[in-house]
Amino acid sequence: MKKNRGAISRNEARGISRRDFIKIAGLSTLALSGLSIVPSKTWSQAGSKYIWGCPSEFQSMDPHIIYDVTTENLRLNLYDHLYRYLDNPPKIHPWLAESYSVADEGRKWTFTLRKGAKFHTGDEVTAEAVKYSMERLVALGKGPSALFKPILDPGSISIKSRYVVEFNLKEPYAPFLSIMPTFCIVNPKLLEGKAGPWGSEWLNSNDAGSGSYVLEKYSPGTGWIAKRFKDHWMGWKGNFVEEIEFRTIHETASRVMALIKGDISGCDGYLPADQIEKLEKDPNIKVYEEQSMRIALIRMHNQRPPLNDVHVRRAISYAFDYDSFIKDVLKGRVARNAGPIPNNMWGAPQDLKGYTFDLKKAKEELQQAKVKIDRALTINPMTGYAQTDDIALILQAGLQQIGIKANVVRETWPNLSSRGKDINTSPDMWIHWVSTYYADPENWIGEMYSSSRWGAWKASSWYKNSEVDDLLKKARTTPDIETRRKLYEQASRTVVSDAADVWIYNTKWYGPNRKNVKGIRFCPIGDGQECRWISIG
Amino acid sequence: MDRKILYFLKRIAYFIPTLLGLVILVFFISRVIPGDPAALVAGETATAEQVKEIRTQLGFDRPIYVQLGIYLQQLVTGDLGKSLYSGRRVSQDLIYRFPATLELTLAAMFISVVIGIPLGILSALKRNSLLDHLVRGFTVSGLAIASFWLGIMLQLFASMWLGLTPLGGRIGVPEPRLITGLIVLDSILTLNGTALLSSLKHLLLPALTLSFASLATLARFTRSGVLDVIQKDFILYERAMGFPRRIVVYKYVLRNALISTVTQVGLLFGLLLAGAVVIETVFDWPGLGLYAYQSIVLSDYQAILGVTLLSGFVYVVVNLGVDVGLTLVDPRKAEV
Amino acid sequence: MNGLRLSWKKFSRDRLALTGFLIILSLILTALLAGVLSPFPEDTHKIHPASRLKAPCVKYLLGTDHMGRDILSRLLFGARVTLIISIIAVATSLLIGVPLGLIAGYLENWVSELIMRIADIFLSVPQVILALFLAKTLGPSIPNVILALSLTYWPWFTRIVFAETRSLRNSVFIEATEAVGANPLRVILLHILPNVSSSIIVRSSIGMGYTILTAAVLGFLGVGAQPPTPEWGVTIAESRQYLPDAWWYATFPGLAIFLVVLGFNMLGDGLRDILDPRIRRSFE
Repeated sequence: MKKNRGAISRNEARGISRRDFIKIAGLSTLALSGLSIVPSKTWSQAGSKYIWGCPSEFQSMDPHIIYDVTTENLRLNLYDHLYRYLDNPPKIHPWLAESYSVADEGRKWTFTLRKGAKFHTGDEVTAEAVKYSMERLVALGKGPSALFKPILDPGSISIKSRYVVEFNLKEPYAPFLSIMPTFCIVNPKLLEGKAGPWGSEWLNSNDAGSGSYVLEKYSPGTGWIAKRFKDHWMGWKGNFVEEIEFRTIHETASRVMALIKGDISGCDGYLPADQIEKLEKDPNIKVYEEQSMRIALIRMHNQRPPLNDVHVRRAISYAFDYDSFIKDVLKGRVARNAGPIPNNMWGAPQDLKGYTFDLKKAKEELQQAKVKIDRALTINPMTGYAQTDDIALILQAGLQQIGIKANVVRETWPNLSSRGKDINTSPDMWIHWVSTYYADPENWIGEMYSSSRWGAWKASSWYKNSEVDDLLKKARTTPDIETRRKLYEQASRTVVSDAADVWIYNTKWYGPNRKNVKGIRFCPIGDGQECRWISIG
Repeated sequence: MDRKILYFLKRIAYFIPTLLGLVILVFFISRVIPGDPAALVAGETATAEQVKEIRTQLGFDRPIYVQLGIYLQQLVTGDLGKSLYSGRRVSQDLIYRFPATLELTLAAMFISVVIGIPLGILSALKRNSLLDHLVRGFTVSGLAIASFWLGIMLQLFASMWLGLTPLGGRIGVPEPRLITGLIVLDSILTLNGTALLSSLKHLLLPALTLSFASLATLARFTRSGVLDVIQKDFILYERAMGFPRRIVVYKYVLRNALISTVTQVGLLFGLLLAGAVVIETVFDWPGLGLYAYQSIVLSDYQAILGVTLLSGFVYVVVNLGVDVGLTLVDPRKAEV
Repeated sequence: MNGLRLSWKKFSRDRLALTGFLIILSLILTALLAGVLSPFPEDTHKIHPASRLKAPCVKYLLGTDHMGRDILSRLLFGARVTLIISIIAVATSLLIGVPLGLIAGYLENWVSELIMRIADIFLSVPQVILALFLAKTLGPSIPNVILALSLTYWPWFTRIVFAETRSLRNSVFIEATEAVGANPLRVILLHILPNVSSSIIVRSSIGMGYTILTAAVLGFLGVGAQPPTPEWGVTIAESRQYLPDAWWYATFPGLAIFLVVLGFNMLGDGLRDILDPRIRRSFE
């Protein structure tokens, strides 16, 4: 630094010299620009790692708290259930339990566990663990607890022996076995003494399971990594992956590009039809396609005028352009489903015709309506789900053509699902899906159209028909499947005739994966995210 | 010295009621958020009774002022409540996510300073040259571009079409051992070359996008600051006395110009914090900005409150620091 | 009259400011004439899924979006939305902020302290975050976006007006006026306000640019206008999942925003140079 001829100001005595500063600036700029010349290094899948791109975040790793379709992967891979669904159409298989028996007309369910199944810590899975897990689920009151709480009182679970556990339900409930796969078994020894009610503060970011993979690393917002659990009770035969990673990539276009570049091994199929087409054309990618069980529908508030008039609802059902939506927007990648139960599920009447886009019939129905339409209706699509926007716009356009005005207002899923619990705040019309939480018609028509289920978002049509109520109650409590099937089919026909909602399609599942991924085993519950069957190369 | 201490104390005295006011403002607004917080805590498959239960359990049915009292009490002990959606402590979430945003903001600040100031100086020294016109054009347009659009365009061009930069996230190889949470720094500290390279590449586009507006502003201010000083009489005098231009520039012009520029740092920091919300959303950068957006989408109000408070707190502290720092450099400031 | 002509001469010679002015003029004309200029004016509410995601061509100059709607037409109508939001938001901020600034500047007691403290509190959170927070609270709609924007921008007006009022207030001629017995309201309205007005005008022009950007951010993040309103920020958000193939979908709305904000910024600079070169160095 040159010596100045004038007086040295006190400011100069401190700090770095300006010239050095500018020099650093110049060099840094050069360095930064030089970086972009270095080629992008693709993280190669060193033979044994499966990376899956996820559209949403993992806010918590606790299987009793978070319960939605996009986090199914953590429950399937890190945890086990007593029974599990596999394949398509879904069949229920004994998993941690070897067998079960029902007594007392569907009130007493006894499960016998297999011996020698271990948690990741080495502790054995016993009836104690099952009892603890169920009590924990119900006490925390989140996740799938709403399926169990109404039928299980505290203290109704008894341990018959080290490997035998008995559930005493409040009332007969035929689908009880079917809902078993929603319930994960956690290790009570690990959770003892941990912070939060039932150790929930700890389990948010950790692993207390017995599943095929053990949690290695978890970053909320980025995802999680797990390593193969060598001592898993099922054993490991043939080929498998040593490590799995579920990485959050929020934006659709980025996820698709990541798959094309090879940064990830597979991703979800919740993509616009154009992106799926693009992936199908890519020589390095295979897009698996299967019929799934997930209904898209427009809910209508059956108790609020003018929607409380069946003719108005039928008119609306005739005013939606199903074909244009399925053909043009979704490029034919879904199947039309005219009723509430997916067509590939037993209980769905196979001869059901349902509604078509017919403005003439719509106007005819309107003329028969007894209730006046004196206000604009509100359609609520869900924020972040572009397809619901599309559906809303198509419905709005159709309604306009029969003289009904509708406003489209986007709201979030938490808002809408909580509004849907109260008859006064429930939306006029909102758009959502009903996924397969468990493979039983009860999951759809039973929970959606029984008036006893009012107060849950699934029942936000506020539909009440005593004939249907009886049919569904009988179906719920009868153990014989043939009888149940006939009851559900009859109920479906009535509900459709009453136009309780506008059912649009049943999803096709798409599983885009790199060609070197083998062993994708799809089940509508889990969407093919169970990794123990997968191998690379 | 006395005057400086007085000024210092005065500024601290303003700082506390401002912060308190912020807490109260945010708290009251948040209680009006639609999307029943109790229903969110209860989960999407819960019934109306379960929701009511949770409402009483967490005290959402008590009068607002009671809730506020409880909240203030918790704040003092550093408890920001639990995230309604994940059950994790909000303070934990914030601490976890903060380094990512800090890294992004520091990188953006670095780029703004390192490119913006020299640009401004050069542009002023070579007034009305081609360079000057280009810089002026750039500064005017830089403030007119929507940052999220710029980010999307850069992503489209550099990442998707040319494949030069990654699409998002902080790193594409396994993370280095985390010490500070600033991945670039930690890569250096743990001597992890691949991690350093990967993290720098991931940082490039988001930091560049975020820095754009503050870069333009800084260049602009440096330029007018330098111009002002150059025109002062005493510079003419010094030049007339025969001091070489370079010395005059470095000794007087820069020093004085930089003082006024540094005053902008505090305000620019606010720009950067705000910009982080959209930039992190565009580039999938798992920091506070993305967390803020997710929390707002999910109506997770403890989290929203936490983020708003934290950003307000940081912003106020930075401005306080800049203010106080300036009084050390330029005692005239203390004359307020 | 002479002063006005002089100002205009100065203004028209400043090429930057003139360009800005012309851009704004075009914006206003576009907004007014959107129905006439758009090739497909019905695309603000009609959909044609069969012609979705078409690249720019003769029929659709800027291409179509994912619902087959002409992007050019929607951009033109979007100008209307943008103008409405920004003008009302800035006007409301002005109506809140200027009187508060005048009062705070004129009085020298606890009231002015209180007003400035409240302004500080609103300014202590980065504005986009506060506006986002407010807009989310109130619910996603255009009126609520306007409200959120107004409630976060007024402190800027207050600050500027306060500073100028305070310095004016203590000037000799004001003291003299008061000594003669003029009442405070008269003093504020007739003597202080005219002198402060140039800063207000400059601030408003820059405020328009800032507000348009913030409104676009709120739209992009999903708390602003709702479909099928053709707001520019919302359009960019919708476009993301169709990239990189439908590049036109994301590019043109952003260019529109850029052009418009640029116009207001240039205009603001030009006005500043004419009306009050003294304040050239104030922030923004």
